[in-house]
Amino acid sequence: MPDAVDDLVSLLARVALRDRPAFERLYRATCAHLLGVAFRILNNRDRAEEVLQEAFMNVWHSAGGYKPGVAAPMTWLINIVRNKAIDALRSGRAERASTVSLHDDEGEGMDVPDDEALQPQRLLADSLLRVKIDRCMDELNAAQRQALALAYYRGMVHTEIAEALHAPLGTAKAWVRRGLDKLKDCLQAAGVAA
Amino acid sequence: MNYLHPPRLDRLAREYALGTLTGRARRRFERVLRQAPAASQAVAAWQERFSVLAAAVPPMQPREAVWHGLERRLFDSAARADEPAARPLQWLWTLVSGRLWAGALAGALLAVVVLRTQPEWAGLESADRALPESYVGLLLDPAGQPALLANSRRHGRQLTVKVLQPVTVPAGQVAQLWAFPARGAPFPVAPLPPLPGRGASVTLTLPDTSEKLFANVPRLGVTFEATPANPGETLRRDPVLAGHCVKLW
Repeated sequence: MPDAVDDLVSLLARVALRDRPAFERLYRATCAHLLGVAFRILNNRDRAEEVLQEAFMNVWHSAGGYKPGVAAPMTWLINIVRNKAIDALRSGRAERASTVSLHDDEGEGMDVPDDEALQPQRLLADSLLRVKIDRCMDELNAAQRQALALAYYRGMVHTEIAEALHAPLGTAKAWVRRGLDKLKDCLQAAGVAA
Repeated sequence: MNYLHPPRLDRLAREYALGTLTGRARRRFERVLRQAPAASQAVAAWQERFSVLAAAVPPMQPREAVWHGLERRLFDSAARADEPAARPLQWLWTLVSGRLWAGALAGALLAVVVLRTQPEWAGLESADRALPESYVGLLLDPAGQPALLANSRRHGRQLTVKVLQPVTVPAGQVAQLWAFPARGAPFPVAPLPPLPGRGASVTLTLPDTSEKLFANVPRLGVTFEATPANPGETLRRDPVLAGHCVKLW
């Protein structure tokens, strides 16, 4: 979507000039995707929204530092959100839970189960399918794929991955390494990323 | 350990970008990142690869309160909210705004003289003797001595930096110019070209017009970095040179 990318680059350039309407347009265009990223890591809507707000504070102040030639605009934004979400996760402000209570502005609440559609492995599979490297990545075994998915989507470190997958630490590390090696190879082969 | 050995660098970069590099190893690698462009490039490449994995994450619409909170925090009380950002540099600002404010004014006056007598230093196209509308920054060292004089036409994209006293940039590093806006966090302006000796000037091209970059910037600073500041990067360390940025009109 080159047009959409160009739009985001242009909006970021205007935000750097303290253009408030551009800032709101940038927020509206990207907030849902970015909240999704933060939510996968924190598994808590309130915490994810706090992170999203902090991230956009950062965007307002740092948009001048964005360089289109170095990173795609969404990559730059995702990186800010993901780093803040992982910081929040590791500072202990978020709790892992299998269900999350959601409350909208009208006070209605609902529980969203941590169903299969939200599982990291499923997200990984869907993402790989979108860039057509799913077959290439099929060479990884289930544990290797799970380890990679838990690290990226849940922000887990090696010890947590080992615990979640009931594996020795060294094995968990090797699974992540293998997953990353394969991801790089497959993306290169498909010409998707450098 | 040679962190820049390509296979080792790639392993560290990807674990750093993924978030699985933690603790002391992460801090050690952050030091490498500040010094080695190759390390920054390796991390950027992995961040681009990981962005592919975010493609299938289901979007989730934030509640409207998030936007309202942002507006309130950024625009209703911007001055107060941004106050802490200046604290780490307080020693320098105190120095600049107190005892040596007169020095800054003297620098601005010097700039007037410079612009009147040597218009080509500011990249002026006109031989008109009227002083053009310009931004002028006088950067002082920690001892309060004027070190660099920066000036640019208000609507121009060229910034001329005159060396008032020799500035020694550590080998393998660059001098990075930062803007300190009245509201908001410092942002990188541009890396400075290699600085000549006392009395000589260099000119660089700005990423935008001076007016757009400096309209709300009362102060400038220079840090020494292994690599030019990256997109979105906030100030990495206290500047080695800092001073006021003033409008000449």
